[in-house]
Amino acid sequence: MKLLRPLTLAVALATSMLASAEVAVIVNPANANSISDNDISRAFLGKLKTFADGQSIKAVNSKANSAARVEFEKLVLKKSAAQVKAYWSKRLFTGKGKPLQELGTDADVLSFVASTPNAIGYVDAASVNDTVKVVKSF
Amino acid sequence: MRKALLSCAICAALPLASAQAEITFNGFANIVAGQASSGDTQWGYDDDVDFKQDSLFALQASTDLGEGLSATAQIISRGENDWEAEFEWAYIAYDINDNTRILAGRQRAPLYMYSDYLDVSYAYPWITPPEGVYNLELSKFDGVSLSHNFTLGEFDTTAQVFFGSDNDDINVQGIDVNSSFDEIFGGTFTLNRDWLTLRTAYLATDLSIPIPVFDELAAAWNNIEGFGGVAEALVIDEDKAKFFEFGAVIDYNNYLLIAEVTRINYDNMPLDTEESMFVTAGYRFDDVLVHLTYGVDENTINGIGDTLPVGLSPELDQLIGFTRQGLEFRNEDSSYYTLGARWDFHPSASFKVEFSKRDDDLINQDTSLVRTALVTVF
Repeated sequence: MKLLRPLTLAVALATSMLASAEVAVIVNPANANSISDNDISRAFLGKLKTFADGQSIKAVNSKANSAARVEFEKLVLKKSAAQVKAYWSKRLFTGKGKPLQELGTDADVLSFVASTPNAIGYVDAASVNDTVKVVKSF
Repeated sequence: MRKALLSCAICAALPLASAQAEITFNGFANIVAGQASSGDTQWGYDDDVDFKQDSLFALQASTDLGEGLSATAQIISRGENDWEAEFEWAYIAYDINDNTRILAGRQRAPLYMYSDYLDVSYAYPWITPPEGVYNLELSKFDGVSLSHNFTLGEFDTTAQVFFGSDNDDINVQGIDVNSSFDEIFGGTFTLNRDWLTLRTAYLATDLSIPIPVFDELAAAWNNIEGFGGVAEALVIDEDKAKFFEFGAVIDYNNYLLIAEVTRINYDNMPLDTEESMFVTAGYRFDDVLVHLTYGVDENTINGIGDTLPVGLSPELDQLIGFTRQGLEFRNEDSSYYTLGARWDFHPSASFKVEFSKRDDDLINQDTSLVRTALVTVF
């Protein structure tokens, strides 16, 4: 019983730490489009191809297994890494689309989005700077 | 400095050339081992451990030619065919715009929910999609298709129409016969939103399958005056087959529910109708998906055998006997269940294990099959 208490405390602490790893979805500062949660999810699954103003969407991914990507896939796409991989396998092997371009670090995503008018990406909320615009945090 | 400038100028001048040269390779592999219960056969397996039946290795090459044009080829080498490699897909795609695409060449016959990635075991829960529903001998065709994506309220929708033909050797009772599916024409319609996917398909084709046994029986009936109709019902020569499909997937948090129903109507052939369905329910525990499938397959055969006059002459009775026996060959009334698990033990690979039990109501026989699979995409 005594043992259980610190254990539950540790678990609670761990989960709250995980939950605090907030993910920010970012676009170029020049991008004035509003985008719904559902559209963000569709953009990163290759289903939504243009912003409201008609310019094409260039969505970029973080590196596989990065903290931001795991959180993003869980919270926004509502899929596990394996499910997302299976989803892109379907599209790839039916010629319907290629997996998104992957960038190595949050800094790479920030600089790509800052320099690409039609880009959309996501980073750990703590990494965000004023070269990009946050459209939504999860 | 000058060199750098020069190479930069070349880059800028030759975007098309570099796009043409770039070929992307991807692939997938399924290594499946299976063994049926002692003394039995099921879904191509007998009671010896077999690694060939469902194992395959595939390589896909694709290239972007620019301006909406791309070319893709997928070569699959199957253990079942002694690892002989064959083109399953080989097409040129043209994107008219973001939503509309034309494919010309060899492509998948989009009969079922999982047709488009039939062999990519990594993309679905089971080792292979449920055998009863997914057993039609038409898996690919040569022709054209047009697909269009649009949104319908909250749903992402895909409509597709296709036209083409296919010639293939198919195995009928141990012999390879050259079948042809001519004037394949059909369409599919898919609705998807979050966790819900609904799909329906229709396909019609002119079917020719020269099965020696039936051709011989038909020749015998043609020799007897007034029985041309029996001969007609036995040969499969440009007879119309119509295929209908409806499928649904609910993939909600940890819960998975998949159901699919198919029906085929055959005009004036030994087989009359073929009906199949399955339901799969699954639950995800982190990296492990546990699933249970129940399926039913029912074929009805041409009833012409029952209308033949018995007792006129011993020779005729013998022919009637052979005819009835022949018509029985694809009669089916069976059900099965499969209990399975998929473990995503690696970012690009899964391990799967399944136990299936099939109950053939016509001959009152139970068989079972155990399979394991290592599936991967790369």
